[in-house]
Amino acid sequence: MPSDIDILTDYIRSETGHTGTIGPDDDLLEAGILDSFNIVSLAMFAQERFGVEFEGEDLVRDNLATLSALAALIRARASDAA
Amino acid sequence: MPASIYRFLAATADRLPDKLAIVSAKRSITFAELHREALTTAECLREMGIAPGDRVGICMEKTVDQVLAILGVLYANAVVVPILPRLKNTNIQHIIQNSGMAAMVTDADRVAEVTGFAGLTRLIIGHGEVSNEWPNLPYLRRFVSAKPFFDRIGNDNAAIIYSSGSTGRPKGILIAQRNLAEGAEIVAEYLGTTEQDRIGCMLSFNFDYGMNQIWQTVRLGCTLVLHELALPNDLFSVMSKERITALPVMPVFITKMFDRRLKVNAGAFDFSALRYVCSTGGRLSADMISDLHGAFPKAKVYSMFGLTEAFRGTYLPPDKLASHPTSVGRSIPDCQVMVLDADGEECAPHVVGELVQRGATVTKGYWNDPENTAKTFRSHPRFPGETLVFSGDRVYRDENDFIYFVARADDMIKTKGFRVSPTEVEAEVLRHPDVVDAVAFAVPNITIGEDVGCAYTTVNNLPLPEPVFRQFLKSNLPGHMVPVHLLHFDAFPILGNAGKLDRKAIKAAAWQRLGQAEPATGAAQA
Repeated sequence: MPSDIDILTDYIRSETGHTGTIGPDDDLLEAGILDSFNIVSLAMFAQERFGVEFEGEDLVRDNLATLSALAALIRARASDAA
Repeated sequence: MPASIYRFLAATADRLPDKLAIVSAKRSITFAELHREALTTAECLREMGIAPGDRVGICMEKTVDQVLAILGVLYANAVVVPILPRLKNTNIQHIIQNSGMAAMVTDADRVAEVTGFAGLTRLIIGHGEVSNEWPNLPYLRRFVSAKPFFDRIGNDNAAIIYSSGSTGRPKGILIAQRNLAEGAEIVAEYLGTTEQDRIGCMLSFNFDYGMNQIWQTVRLGCTLVLHELALPNDLFSVMSKERITALPVMPVFITKMFDRRLKVNAGAFDFSALRYVCSTGGRLSADMISDLHGAFPKAKVYSMFGLTEAFRGTYLPPDKLASHPTSVGRSIPDCQVMVLDADGEECAPHVVGELVQRGATVTKGYWNDPENTAKTFRSHPRFPGETLVFSGDRVYRDENDFIYFVARADDMIKTKGFRVSPTEVEAEVLRHPDVVDAVAFAVPNITIGEDVGCAYTTVNNLPLPEPVFRQFLKSNLPGHMVPVHLLHFDAFPILGNAGKLDRKAIKAAAWQRLGQAEPATGAAQA
């Protein structure tokens, strides 16, 4: 089964056409993989794909700029719902 | 005192040496430091052989170091050529060659992106790690002294800003030292920006609008707070924490700030310090205006308009926004925006003519392009000895000189704050082996200006599977240039017998399929 990070990576690749490697701790904005527009789309995708709901205060740079931070946020919100 | 950015900052550094000029998450800097480090940057550049008048590219993320690179190039009497990071290679190559670039300043982690271009012999690191390969400005600044400096005159070249042209080749707009200084004075006057202001800067310093925030800051001694808008919550907390008083935006930023898909409670933040929001680069929709008023009840909202050829042309006073929501406003101070007919006479109210601008913000013309310069930058018998900008844009004015837009001169697509050339989009679509013809066009979308649309025909007359096609386009186009709407046509209508595509008919058919109607103007044609 693909991990959350694999699923997010696939989404980013299909959304941006990025072909290089994406490390779990790479800053997606600083590395230029995502811009300020598609980072919001990534958050929307994560909500739908993993059936979680983010709160306003979740949607800050520190939670979304790396795959590992976003995966942690998804886990935290999924356990809230459980 | 003759106006120049150097003189502005030297005077402010003298008056307010210890006040913070620029605040950012990574580094903040006082006016005295900013002036001194701009001087040492200029000294480094001179020692590297950068001569007055040399064009120096700056391809950097928005940092204090980027501001120092820009100021250092100006202080060296050289010419700033901003290059948007992550621009496509063919565009960078064109800018390097067209400008005759002597050197490029870039971020250490961007070196791979900007090396290997023909004609670019010299790379300078403006921010980031020191290596043996390239000279590093932050490092070298420590070893040179800030020498006294004499700037030349206001007519000297200060910057070349490349703006996408309808031919697909970006045109370089040549800006004088004087234009930058006047731009700071004019904008500060009509917005009422003062020394007490704290400007929240989401804008990039690759365009005149963003750079003008630096010029206002060094002129007035206010503080510029750098921020990258990715998520509204981050912006709102910075605005509230930093007590931001002035917020320059573009319509697309407003859409993002109040994105309905995000749970953002703007009411939870303290925006009591915010005095004004100003916006340019597209019309403000009724939703945008009500979102701004709702979230920032104390802030005045200024809607502004300008041609890059003349930086800024009109603004709508905040108290006229409700009564004139579709107007781009009236002339800015020290400039005159006119509506002229084909004979160069001023049109009567409500008669459509060409937007023509004269005054302090009119730039020097297109760099290295006498033909296009002669078309747009012309004289007028009523103003002997003066150069005016003839925009080609179709506008009209009402009885009170409020200007209204009817149609742009070119078919550039304005999306997410970028100007996208249809030719460039088509070139990439045509690279697909199955595509025969392609016509790109704008599709109105008030939330981001316009969407990029593209109609295409194929060899086998079958539509291309959209996800695969889009993936193909994404690998070679920056995100904002990838068409949102891809429409397959069996055949394209042809104009006359020359085999030329009837672009107008194709666009009309595509708009119809997308449920868009041609806008009615309600004004007479001159």
